[in-house]
Amino acid sequence: MGQIKYQLPPDEVLAPGHFACPGCGATLTMRYALKALGRKTVVVIPACCWSVIDGPVPYSAAGVPVFHTAFETAASTASGVKAGLDAQGDHETTVLAFAGDGGTFDIGLQALSGAAERNEDFIYICYDNEAYMNTGIQRSSATPFGAWTTTTPAVSPKAEKKKNIIEILAAHRIPYLATASVAYPDDMIAKIRKAKDIRGFKFIHVFSPCPPGWKFEPEDSIKISRMAIESKVFPLIEIIDGIDYALSKEPDGIPVRDYIKMQGRFRHLNDEQIGIIQANVTEDWERLRAKFAPTRKVSRSRRDESTGENKSSQTRNVTRTKNARKRAQKSRG
Amino acid sequence: MTKYKFTTVEEMPPLAFSLESTREIPTGSWRHVRPVYRDKNSPCHVTCPAGEKIPDYFELVRQKKYKEAWYKILEDNPLPGVTGRVCYHPCEGQCNRAGYDGAVAIHNIERFVADKNFKNRKLPAAVEARKSEKVAVIGSGPAGLSCAYQLSRLGYRSVIYEADHEPGGMLRYGIPDYRLPKKILDKEIKDIEALGVEIMVDSKIGDNVAWSELERYDAVFVAVGATHSRKIGAPGEDLKGVYTGIDFLKELSTGNVPKVGRQVLVLGGGNTAIDAARSALRLGKRVTVLYRRTRVEMPAVPEEIEEAEKEGVHFEFLVTPVKISGSKGKASEIELMKMQLGEPDESGRRRPVPVIGSNFSMRADTIISAIGEEPDLSFLPYSFLRKGIRLFVDDEHTTGVPGIFAGGDAATNPNGTVVNAIRAGKEAAISIHEFLGWRSRSNGVSHDAVKPEEVNTFYFPHEGRVEVPRITVQKSKTTFSEVNKTLTEEQALTEAERCFTCGTCLHCDVCMTFCPDVAISKDESGEYTIDYEHCKGCGICVNECPRGAMELVPEGAREAVEEVEHI
Amino acid sequence: MMEKNVANTKRDGLLHPSIDKVVVIEGTHAASHAVKLARVQVIAAYPITPQTSVVEKLSEIVSDGDLDAKFIKVESEHSAMACCIGSSISGARAFTATSSQGLALMHELLHWAAGSRLPIVMVNVNRAMAPPWSIYVDHNDSLSQRDTGWLQFYAESNQEVTDTVLQAYKIAETVSLPVMINLDAFVLSHTSEPVALPKQEIVDEFLPARKASFKIDTSDPKAFGALIGPEAYMEMRYKLYRAMEDARSVIREVDRDFAEKFGRSYGGLVEEYMTEDAETVLITSATAVSTARIAVDELRSMGFPVGLMKLRVFRPFPVDEVRELAKHVRKIGVMDRNVSFGATGIIYQETKAVLYNAADRPSVFGFIAGLGGRDITPETIKEIFSYLMNHDEPESESVWVSLKTSDADQGARPFPETGAGIRRSEGVK
Repeated sequence: MGQIKYQLPPDEVLAPGHFACPGCGATLTMRYALKALGRKTVVVIPACCWSVIDGPVPYSAAGVPVFHTAFETAASTASGVKAGLDAQGDHETTVLAFAGDGGTFDIGLQALSGAAERNEDFIYICYDNEAYMNTGIQRSSATPFGAWTTTTPAVSPKAEKKKNIIEILAAHRIPYLATASVAYPDDMIAKIRKAKDIRGFKFIHVFSPCPPGWKFEPEDSIKISRMAIESKVFPLIEIIDGIDYALSKEPDGIPVRDYIKMQGRFRHLNDEQIGIIQANVTEDWERLRAKFAPTRKVSRSRRDESTGENKSSQTRNVTRTKNARKRAQKSRG
Repeated sequence: MTKYKFTTVEEMPPLAFSLESTREIPTGSWRHVRPVYRDKNSPCHVTCPAGEKIPDYFELVRQKKYKEAWYKILEDNPLPGVTGRVCYHPCEGQCNRAGYDGAVAIHNIERFVADKNFKNRKLPAAVEARKSEKVAVIGSGPAGLSCAYQLSRLGYRSVIYEADHEPGGMLRYGIPDYRLPKKILDKEIKDIEALGVEIMVDSKIGDNVAWSELERYDAVFVAVGATHSRKIGAPGEDLKGVYTGIDFLKELSTGNVPKVGRQVLVLGGGNTAIDAARSALRLGKRVTVLYRRTRVEMPAVPEEIEEAEKEGVHFEFLVTPVKISGSKGKASEIELMKMQLGEPDESGRRRPVPVIGSNFSMRADTIISAIGEEPDLSFLPYSFLRKGIRLFVDDEHTTGVPGIFAGGDAATNPNGTVVNAIRAGKEAAISIHEFLGWRSRSNGVSHDAVKPEEVNTFYFPHEGRVEVPRITVQKSKTTFSEVNKTLTEEQALTEAERCFTCGTCLHCDVCMTFCPDVAISKDESGEYTIDYEHCKGCGICVNECPRGAMELVPEGAREAVEEVEHI
Repeated sequence: MMEKNVANTKRDGLLHPSIDKVVVIEGTHAASHAVKLARVQVIAAYPITPQTSVVEKLSEIVSDGDLDAKFIKVESEHSAMACCIGSSISGARAFTATSSQGLALMHELLHWAAGSRLPIVMVNVNRAMAPPWSIYVDHNDSLSQRDTGWLQFYAESNQEVTDTVLQAYKIAETVSLPVMINLDAFVLSHTSEPVALPKQEIVDEFLPARKASFKIDTSDPKAFGALIGPEAYMEMRYKLYRAMEDARSVIREVDRDFAEKFGRSYGGLVEEYMTEDAETVLITSATAVSTARIAVDELRSMGFPVGLMKLRVFRPFPVDEVRELAKHVRKIGVMDRNVSFGATGIIYQETKAVLYNAADRPSVFGFIAGLGGRDITPETIKEIFSYLMNHDEPESESVWVSLKTSDADQGARPFPETGAGIRRSEGVK
């Protein structure tokens, strides 16, 4: 089978010269998203690193229209953009809300929930760098247990677990929900493309490492992302209609310690605390794995029943995990 | 912050919108380290005594360009069919995949390439212009053949003087057919002859050819090999039924099957011992190898020892011969003494120490002594510098006598391997070329190789090493036909795919895929360009490169500047 | 002065040719019908008393297919405004409605809409801010949004609500600024009045489809509202400031155009009533204006030279109109249905402020009345006039009218029925 290679769409929509820090995961996320969606895309960006990354006036890196909006309004502004385009007869342009974890898990959660519940027809990508990075590394509800941030100093690191945004969104029964990682660009692009072809609300949660915020060397961004997947800290999954779970990549199951040890934000942790994290990860993984029922009748998507337009999920009897693994292998080339 | 481009209200847009791409912003100025593409040596290449460019010909194999792959090997080694069978392949020992899921079967792919080109072939013409100088080569073993071949590539005519009736030296007389069929050797020697190399057989210098005849040559390469078996130094050595390994094998290879009793004992732990043992086995005898150290210390190629064991050769370790006795001038028993391992000797192996009073005897009607070979340098007309039993040569293979070069087992190749002899021949050819007033093109190969930690194994899913096809043990121990088979094309391709191609860019696009700065592009010819105007030097490309073919260099360093010009 | 309401339009026995039909509807529905006539493309709203009937009616209109619009029933006012911003930047005509707390929640995005120069139109039903909870009228909610860059209109009648919504889109899309139309809770929002609904085709002539001068466009990709440095932020703000300045003439012009097409005018930024020979003029806004008209009529019948200026537009502030008034009156009273704590009524402050650098500076008196739905009756207005006529200079910065207090110094006194004791004019200057 040889070397893993990636065949990305060749068009480079994103321009160089943007203001991202070296090794920025959020920027790779945008690069892949734009490759997946193409130039007929409008991006709505709330307050987040990308408010800066795209470039100061009069510059822009995105190569597609960008509307910078208020912190908590990614989902609501995108709803408006989509409605506006629709009202003017433009049903082709893809609307993408592109927000950080603060704007998604915290301040933007209400608008996000609203848009998800209304099943607004756009793609929401949350690039999760697990803290308020643009403001200088303050804890968010996406910050994992035990992590250092400037508001959870090493002597009293974050005492709470990361909020499970995926389950929150799954509970909204949106037609398409997926996690992705910058270390698996082919998987991410496939998921974003899939999302593009589905009518209704699509949410993609992307693991986007932040070298200065997590305290690691920028060249390790991809390595760390990979370890997050392999250690089951961040499983790669898809959820159709909030109920049909599929695993995109079977993790190798490396110890969480290996992942933790790569990052300065966890440096203060002792063995006991690392043990707690490992236990949490294992428990969450077991809980998640229980949802990949080996064989189950998968219902048609909500939209499908009402409009017949959604081709995303067909009725099928499948071994989800196995198929997902096959897919992952296939995508590795 | 970039300066706003407008100076007055009137020039500004009605609201804050963009008018240009960030491409205008030279974020490359943020950088303090710079990624560069820099092909590095692979450990296999660095380790290969012949210096074969293994990653390069593997890539050609993957592209199914078998002829080009063969040509690539031929740059360094004219005998891939031979080495593809008998080389001890130290390359595989250093293979960065060894510690991952098993070394790549480089050896077998070399053989595959050679065999794939067995028919309808022609060696590439000389790479250098014809020269007027002529060179004499003494000995047509691997060192001599390699030297003559490389000289012909460099444009020289050379004549090989071979004492035996057929060329090949130890390749022909020392390696049994089941490892190296003669047709392979013959073909590769013919190729060399086809390039204009003259081989004069039955021409023993100092015997039927006078040394003085060599004076008409502009240089001489002495590559007579090590053809004399070392004496056991025990009483009874001269009894009937006691052979040297070399003689035994030579007899076999010339078709004269030696008389061998039922119970064969082989003394020694090197390749000759194993070859002799496996050959005797094929004559239907019970064979035991006696070695004074343990299996770990055996100098023979481990695979050969395994094969021998599989085929039914017995081993007795930590024993040394004391006396051979017999009746009617014929050997019938050997007295042995037990040994134990003491302190390490200069070779690093633990020295065998006799256990006093441990003597015992074994019945034996045939004893093959293969405890080492030494060169026969008696033909030399005057005294050369020696190093022990061998000719002393420096790194350039010069003997100290101007114009006389030496190499191979006669000089510098104490472990007597084919590939080291090939290397000696190649190096000597270059030295001769320089001696004759030319400048060599090869410019000091760096021996720094890509380390295992520089390989990003993520990109290489686990895939076990190919199982080398062979005839069954049942069959192999009864015949002199070749034991190992050539890989099938499918096997060779799969195995070639396993190669990490350490240090050589394969244009796999991983660097480009993960660049957050969109600063790497690929031109029509498939070459990458790094846009240093925008690259911030994060280093992801270098870190992610599957094969260590990129480097981060400090910004402003001289090498960085050179690299830019190169790119 | 042009006739301003349906009754007057009908007085000649004929309906104005622009009128499609006359309906008796609440103020909220007057807004809803105007939204339909304006062919709004995106509506996003969240319910709040007493705005609810605006969006309920619109839901019906959209559901019935009478208006081809996307109606996003959002989960908050904040999202309502965000949706309007999103749809407006995409080039669509957007509308929302809210009130009080909802408006306050939108605050951040009011800046965003104006800063993005988006011609969004919003109806705000003026309702007092909590706590304590109140659902009744005062203007603190909208006046708290004074500095967000929105134009602010205050409607006196349901007809004016309908007409102002139509005017508002034209103004907003001309100056690229958002417009807020305020109507008093219940007094207007839930009070039925006859409203002449114009014919769609004439509205279409007056208000053609929006042609955005800038919008998100994948064929001409731009980023809107990115980071900007101190070297250019100020100029961007100056542009917004200029747009608001320019809005004054646009408002006047649009009102004139409207009058030509529909036969009704609202005077542009202000409407004056019996000010020509008035010595004492009261400035006020919204439904209190109608009440004040009655008081002025009564006082005029008693011979008092009083007049009234209706402040129709608070932003941009009618600087020229107030200064012009100041040239020929002795005293100006300002009745604010709001209060700025630590200062005075807001319109009072603004009135004084525009006069300070004027050549003619009559005495200006500030009155606070009608907070949290407290009734403003003709008697309330007369009290104020009584105070104005009996004082040469204000005794304090704010007189709280009809305040239930034992503090004798605080507040105006009831107007005596005969007018006795009220100082008579000493002649118009």
